[in-house]
Amino acid sequence: MAVTRRTKKQDANETAALLQAYKRMLSIRIAQEELVKLYMEKKIFSMVHFYIGQEAVAVGVCDALKKGDKVMGNHRSHGHYLAKGGNFRRLVCELLGKANGSARGKGGSMHMVAKEVNFVGSTPLLGSVVPISAGVAFEQKYNKRGTITVAFYGDGASEEGVVYETYNLAALYKLPLLLVIENNLFSINSYIKNRRSGNYDVKKIVEGLGVRYEQADGNDYHDVHEKARALVDSIREESEPAVLECMTYRHMAHSTPLREESYRSEDTAEKRQESDSLKKIHDELLGAGISEKRLSALENTMRASVRKDITFAERSPYPKKSELYTNMYAT
Amino acid sequence: MAERILKYADAIKEATEQLLESDRRVFVLGLGVPQGAGGTTTGLSEKYPQRVLDTPSSEAALTGLAVGSAISGLRPIVHHDRVEFGLLASDQMFTQAAKWNYMFGGGNPVPLTVRIVVGRQWGNGPQHSQALYSMYGAVRGLKVVIPSSPRMAKGLLIAAVRDPNPVIVLEPRWLYQTKQIVPKKMYEEPLEKARVVRKGKDITVVAYGDGLVSSHEACELIGNRVSVELIDVVSINPVDHDTIKKSVMRTGRLLCIDTTSEAFGVGSEVIANVMKTCTLEARPLVLAAPNVPCPTSTALTEFYYPTRADVANAILRALKKPTIRHTLTFQELHLAPTLTLP
Repeated sequence: MAVTRRTKKQDANETAALLQAYKRMLSIRIAQEELVKLYMEKKIFSMVHFYIGQEAVAVGVCDALKKGDKVMGNHRSHGHYLAKGGNFRRLVCELLGKANGSARGKGGSMHMVAKEVNFVGSTPLLGSVVPISAGVAFEQKYNKRGTITVAFYGDGASEEGVVYETYNLAALYKLPLLLVIENNLFSINSYIKNRRSGNYDVKKIVEGLGVRYEQADGNDYHDVHEKARALVDSIREESEPAVLECMTYRHMAHSTPLREESYRSEDTAEKRQESDSLKKIHDELLGAGISEKRLSALENTMRASVRKDITFAERSPYPKKSELYTNMYAT
Repeated sequence: MAERILKYADAIKEATEQLLESDRRVFVLGLGVPQGAGGTTTGLSEKYPQRVLDTPSSEAALTGLAVGSAISGLRPIVHHDRVEFGLLASDQMFTQAAKWNYMFGGGNPVPLTVRIVVGRQWGNGPQHSQALYSMYGAVRGLKVVIPSSPRMAKGLLIAAVRDPNPVIVLEPRWLYQTKQIVPKKMYEEPLEKARVVRKGKDITVVAYGDGLVSSHEACELIGNRVSVELIDVVSINPVDHDTIKKSVMRTGRLLCIDTTSEAFGVGSEVIANVMKTCTLEARPLVLAAPNVPCPTSTALTEFYYPTRADVANAILRALKKPTIRHTLTFQELHLAPTLTLP
């Protein structure tokens, strides 16, 4: 076969796609950074599990999906919600406990939902979302919808019994389900090597229960995206579940924006900075000829927009007292 | 059309079959479900192989899968053959299904039905015969019903599956062989309503499940010596306190029957609520199993569950009438009743 030269058009398309991915990841990063400020000003009266550092996973996976595909998440789901197209303004309102939040102030940070973009919901109890996502995939298969479901959960959650149970059940029922483990080394503050025997092997476990397994560098958008796309295509084709484990770093503490370092020997601040997925794409874009000036202008525009949404949320009304009693039962 | 008598288990099966037939969103899953689940699903998998599903012995995962399918619009019926196995799925029932609609601010219904077989059975002992009614009653966001007869079992299951909320149906295993006239057509029994099953004016007796059956029999034993108003609680989440209070305000006396340990029981809950607003002519009473686990030996279980004689004498004592001597046979004490209910 003759070697084809890359055309300028191909290069331009690639740069445009890269810029698009960068924008999506950056918007999540900036949103989080601004939310940190709100948290430090004690305006968010609940736990917040910040997603900073893991953006390549949510965006890399969601970029491989179609609109009709469904996504679910866990306690650390701002990124998943936004990557699937969830409205940022409604997210901030929710975090501030306002009536126009995505869950009308009843859920808060750990209970993200945006059904209008098929972000079905996030639920924070470790591993709980995994069988629920299998049920969502079950419906897609039952009604022959041709869509798939994705659930995001952490390395800690992946140790829960119900998750092992669900691998088998999803394989048994041949469900169109992609399970994404975001392995950030910590379950709260417990280091993975203190939680698992030396012989613990996620690949063997997953495959041993009948589910396909891939691992990706969760700090690299391209690696996550390519592997996710291949798995999504095959899940859609074959209706067989798969696990994609993304090795990544959580830049902040478990449920606060503090940067506690005492327990971190593997993912040091330096290492996190150096392997940061956004920094990588930023450098790639510079290499592709996008100017620093253009990139920082982009960042400024995004930050201004985020701040506007935050101001809107701060001015939004709280739910009325009567709301306490509504929605326990659906009617 | 001639009236037919059905067993409790067969009434559940008929309801399930009619639900499968009439609504494509309905499916059934649980360990051993295609093999029959105590007669409640026998043969259904032949007609509906894709909708009557066996599962791994993984209660949490299969219940979670049902929750996920319900939030997507299907109408799953989960079957747990013992409450102790159902407990393994507590997170999915109590924390996921029960909170889903509330925590997302509404618009997120969970039309899930979980059938759990509970309570007494010969020789089943401390880990196979718990009922744990109060635990299910205490969780906000669930609806919980206890069918006390074949007719109730059918009507409540149909109502549960059609309801947009997670409904737990606690089926007393002790009643599985009881019989009753059951309408052939599909019908619903209301999920959140207590039922006055016998009118009376001297005392209100509040019972549920197998305790209701013993109470019926107790009324027969007593005859016309006391006019008993008998209430089937039906729903323990929420409890229909209004129906109970209305009755107690007329009779002035209250006796609650619990077929599980008394502590934190349905009886305590009913009495606490009645006492907030009603003035009674006598102290309210609870007749319940003692506050110990249920043992295995028949020499001990003989004294565990309140019998019809115990209920009858509790009623008679409450009215300061002479008690009766009535002995139950070994069969009646230890084997599930096969009687035909009114």
